[in-house]
Amino acid sequence: MGKLHEEEMRKVYALTLNELIEENSQVMVVEADLSKASGTNPTVLKEHQKNFVNVGVSEANMICIGAGLASEGKIPFCASFTCFASRRVYDQATISVAYANNNVKIIGTAPGITAGPNGGTHMCFQDLAIMRVMPNMHVYSPCDVYELRAVLRHMAANKQPTYMQLIRSKIGKIFGEDYTFDPKKSVTIKEGRDVTLISTGYMTHIALKSLQELQKEGIDAELIHYPSIKPFDENSLILSAKKTRGVITIENQNILGGLGGAVCEVLSEHYPVRVKRLGIPDRFGEVATAEYLLNKHKTNVCHIIDAAKDMLRRSNK
Amino acid sequence: MSKKFNENKFDELAKEFRYVITDMICRAGSGHLGGALSLVEIIITLYYRIININPKNPRWNKRDRLVLSKGHAGPVIYTALAYTSFFPKSWLPTLNADGTRLPSHMDQILTPGIDMSAGSLGQGLSCACGIALAGKLDNKSYRTFCIIGDGESNEGQIWEAAMFAAHNKLDNLVVICDYNKLQIDGFTDDILSLEPLTDKWQSFGWKVFETDGHDWNDIYTTINKAIAVKDKPAMIIANTIKGKGNTIIENKPESHNIKVPDEEAYKKYMNVLVDKNIKLPY
Repeated sequence: MGKLHEEEMRKVYALTLNELIEENSQVMVVEADLSKASGTNPTVLKEHQKNFVNVGVSEANMICIGAGLASEGKIPFCASFTCFASRRVYDQATISVAYANNNVKIIGTAPGITAGPNGGTHMCFQDLAIMRVMPNMHVYSPCDVYELRAVLRHMAANKQPTYMQLIRSKIGKIFGEDYTFDPKKSVTIKEGRDVTLISTGYMTHIALKSLQELQKEGIDAELIHYPSIKPFDENSLILSAKKTRGVITIENQNILGGLGGAVCEVLSEHYPVRVKRLGIPDRFGEVATAEYLLNKHKTNVCHIIDAAKDMLRRSNK
Repeated sequence: MSKKFNENKFDELAKEFRYVITDMICRAGSGHLGGALSLVEIIITLYYRIININPKNPRWNKRDRLVLSKGHAGPVIYTALAYTSFFPKSWLPTLNADGTRLPSHMDQILTPGIDMSAGSLGQGLSCACGIALAGKLDNKSYRTFCIIGDGESNEGQIWEAAMFAAHNKLDNLVVICDYNKLQIDGFTDDILSLEPLTDKWQSFGWKVFETDGHDWNDIYTTINKAIAVKDKPAMIIANTIKGKGNTIIENKPESHNIKVPDEEAYKKYMNVLVDKNIKLPY
């Protein structure tokens, strides 16, 4: 594919689906009139028309058609905006996919603040939270094209109902061609001793930016990226919490129930330490740029640094 | 399985089904009796005369698929599955018991012979569309049958699936609407009228048939006509009577989910079905 990280994430989504279809004709793309937004039209449609189904604007129908296809051995990737791919189809995903254990892959595109121009109606801050409390459902949020490709390959190869967030735009490179994905493992991007940063998806880029600034402040932060919110790598979190003086979660979601919720659940049960959750403080979205929203909701690089300093100040260690 | 038809034998079988279904639900203490009894003749016809099944291999890939989208009518399917040897008849009285493999609403993981879990209304028809589409894409010969409820047809998703099936010319899909004219809160005409139901489905691009859902020959003939339809999906609107055969509840709104708190109530529902020729098979 050449320089993969110079492509939009949705382009890589579509190109990877083309590869997967060529390797296994059971892989299918199911769209609900947002195929251009998710990138499969024209990339997949042009190459593999027989593996491409557009159900029109009927997301609930799409998820259950996916369930029917999956029950016959197909591997359907059903995409829509995160708001429709999670909260709108929540019952269909619960019953026809997770409860019935049908091998459907649900793709929620333009997660959280990346839904910018579509605003509050489309800006979904709860999909990680509501999807992760669904038994039988895996929940992934890849942060760059290399991780995305590895996650998609894993999804196609494993019979497992799954929800995945798909950032659509160009996002830059964190990993490389050799990246491998294991849903049971988080990825330690940088080791450190003072404070633990936990991030997923889009926000791993912001967390990464904060590392250099933290270093200037004399703070040695550990950054652990979680491509999988469920299953959740509890062990790495606990080990890091034992080593540092506090944990900061950074997510492109409501601070209730998502990554921050998962971290608090694990730590309060196994190794209680102070946790600061950065993210959207239980608010709806609005039409705005990502930068504006990061600042408004105090989730930008400077806020990570403030949170780290505050964490260390409060720490008694 | 013999597909020979003997009306007297089928009448006896239907009586036995109704006796067993009522007993199962009464033992469970409550359940969706009306909508199970309205389907007895249709389900017997499907399982004994129409669909290709292999009870020894419930997931046999050449079997015809059946999705009961109105998943609350599970007991009538369970009875058919037990009588066609998918599992022992001794399972039937375990309906809704702790640890059962026969839950009130159907679960494809728990019960051999169930092609799709169902219970949240409106979803099964979309699932059946997916199954039928997969068959078309892979040039498989199996046929997909789906049974929806009339109350269920209030769900918008039914009509999303209706458009999809017609658009994709799913002529390997036969849907039966159990039109017993009753839903939980009352008569469909009073709650949310479906009429003109035939016109609605026709206007959505389906070939539509009507049948008397309790007449053996009419059901059989109509299903076969529906199977023969080309280039569009087929809908059979089956005029049925909710609670058919159990005169305590026949055509009454309270037939939807009966409560059977004690022996007296059990006898009330069972006594009207007593026949010297029928014994419970467990």
